[in-house]
Amino acid sequence: MGRIIEEIYVWRLPVRLYHWINALCTVALFVTGLYIAAPLFNPPLGEAVWYKGMSWWRYLHFAFAFIFVANFLFRMYWALFGGDKYGRFGGFRPWSPSWWGKPFLEQVESYLFIRSEEPNYVGHNPVAALAHFLFIFCGSSFMIFSGLAMYGENNPGGFNSVWFGWMIPLFGSSYTLHWAHHLMAWIFPIYLIMHLYAVFRHDVVDRTSVTSSIVTGYKHKVEEEPV
Amino acid sequence: MQSKQTFADLFRAGGVSRRDFLKFCSLTSVYLGLSPSMVPTIVDAMEKKVRTPVIWLHGLECTCCSESFIRSSHPTIEDLLFNMISLDYDDVLSATAGHQLEDVRRKTMKDYKGKYILAVEGNVSTKDDGVYCMVGGDSFLNTLKETAADAAAIIAWGACASFGCVQNAEPNPTGAAPISDIIKDKPIIKVPGCPPISEVMTGVVTHFHTFGTLPDLDRLGRPKAFYNTRIHDKCYRRAYFEAGMFVRSFDDEATRKGWCLYKMGCKGPTTYNACSKIQWNGGTSFPIGSGHPCIGCSEPNFWDKGPFYTRLAEVPFLGSDSNADKIGVIAVGAAAAGAAAHAAVTAVKKAKAGSEDNDKA
Repeated sequence: MGRIIEEIYVWRLPVRLYHWINALCTVALFVTGLYIAAPLFNPPLGEAVWYKGMSWWRYLHFAFAFIFVANFLFRMYWALFGGDKYGRFGGFRPWSPSWWGKPFLEQVESYLFIRSEEPNYVGHNPVAALAHFLFIFCGSSFMIFSGLAMYGENNPGGFNSVWFGWMIPLFGSSYTLHWAHHLMAWIFPIYLIMHLYAVFRHDVVDRTSVTSSIVTGYKHKVEEEPV
Repeated sequence: MQSKQTFADLFRAGGVSRRDFLKFCSLTSVYLGLSPSMVPTIVDAMEKKVRTPVIWLHGLECTCCSESFIRSSHPTIEDLLFNMISLDYDDVLSATAGHQLEDVRRKTMKDYKGKYILAVEGNVSTKDDGVYCMVGGDSFLNTLKETAADAAAIIAWGACASFGCVQNAEPNPTGAAPISDIIKDKPIIKVPGCPPISEVMTGVVTHFHTFGTLPDLDRLGRPKAFYNTRIHDKCYRRAYFEAGMFVRSFDDEATRKGWCLYKMGCKGPTTYNACSKIQWNGGTSFPIGSGHPCIGCSEPNFWDKGPFYTRLAEVPFLGSDSNADKIGVIAVGAAAAGAAAHAAVTAVKKAKAGSEDNDKA
C-alpha cells in the first residue's frame, strides 16, 4: 500500500450536511412519490374517518420536499457566499469553450478507457461537475418548481399558485405537469447508481478516500504503488 | 327578430313573475360568486340593458354544448334563458335556413358592429383550406374569421373550441385547431368541458351582459368563478382519498361503498371544473357521483392523456405500452448494467496493468 503523503480537507461540514440531508430527502421523496402515484395498501371496509392512508404519505412527501427545498437553497447560499474553495462550483464554466477543452476531454477519454492514466482532481472533475449540474441542479430545480406549482393547486391565488402556477400552462395542463414530475423523478435513482459507482471506482483506482471523504471531509494523496 | 328588448321584457312576456325573475338574478349571482350586494346590479342590467346580441356558430362539433345549454336548470325560465340572449344566429336552432339565415348573420354583424358576442361551438378544420368543415357554402375557417372581425368578444364553448377535444387528438386528420389558434386579436373566454355545465354557460353570458366585460380569467383563459378549483378539491369522495380507501375494480365492494376512484384513473385531481360543486342537470349528479372516474374533459388534450381508466399516462412518443414507471425502470436497469460493464473493463485493465508491472519488475 502507498503511504499517505497528503491529507486535504475538501468537504467542509456545511457541504457534508447538505449532502446527507439531500440524500435522505431524495430517497424519501422518491419512495413517497411513487406511493402517491400508485397507493398499494387498502384499509378494511369501514368509515373513512379512522384512516389516514393517503394523507400520511402525502404529508411525508410535502414535509421532505420542504426540507429538500430549504437544503437546496442553503447549498446555493453556501456556493455563493460561503467562501469555500471546493464548495463554490468555481471550476464549472460551461459557457466558456475552453472549459469543454482539454481537461474535460481528458476526463471523458479516461472514462472511455482511451487514456490509460487517470487525471486527478481534488474537488469534482469536469465530467462530475457536468453530471451534478444536470442531475442535481437542473433536475432538482425542475422537481422543486413543478412540485410547488402542483402544491399551489390546493390554494388557487395563494403564494405557490401565483409564483409557480405558470408551470401548468407551460406544460399544457395540470395532468401533463404531474406526468412530467413523475417521469423526471426517475433521474434520481439513475443518478444514484452512477454516483455510487463513480465514487467506488475512483476510490479503488485513485485511492483518494473519496468514499469516506463525505463523512470525514478529508481526501488523501497516496504514494504511487511501490513497485 | 324583435330589437331593443330587455331581458325583463322577455321574462314578463313569457309569464314569469317578478318574484321568479328576482330569484333567477339571485341564483345567477351566486353561481358567479358575486356578493349579495351585486344582485341589484344584475336586476338593473336585466331590466334596462338591451339584450346582448349573440351569433352562435357551429364548427367541427357534436352539438353537445347546445344540448347542455338548453338544459339550464332553473325550471320556469328554462326556455327564456334560451331566449334571453338575443340569439340572432344559430344554424342549428334557427327557424330559417339557407340564404335567409346567412343574411340575418350579416345584418346582425352590421347593426351591432363591435357589440355582439360571437359564441363558437366546435373548432376549425385548417387542413386543405378548411374543406373538412363546410357550413353555408363556405369553409368554417372563412366564416369564423369574417364573423369574428367585428365581435366584441368571443366565447369558445366546450373543449372543442377551447382546446380542440377529440377532433385534434392524435393524429388530427383534419388539422382541427381551437379558436384561440385562429383568432388572435379578440378577447376569448374559454368555457371548456365536453359539454360545459349549462349553469356555467348561462353564468358566463349573464356576467358579460351585466358588466359589459369579461369575467376574471385564469391562466388558460377560463372564467375563474367556475374553473378556479379542481374537481378533486370539492369532491364529496375526497375523505376516501385522504384515507387511502380506493376502488380497485368496478365490481368490488369498495365500488358499492362509494370509495375514491383515484386508482380507477380518475382525473379529478388534475381537472379544473365546477362539476363537484354545481353538478349536472339541476344538481342531480355528476360522473364521480354516478361511480365513474372523471375523464378530465375540460382539460387541454384530454383525449391524448390516455387510458381513461389508469392513473399514469403513456409516454406519447414511445408507443402505447409505455408509461413513466416502465421507462424509469428500464433506464435504471440500463444505468446499472452500464456501471457493471464499466467496472468489469476497469478490473480487466487494472489486472493487465498489474501483471505488466510485475513483468517489468
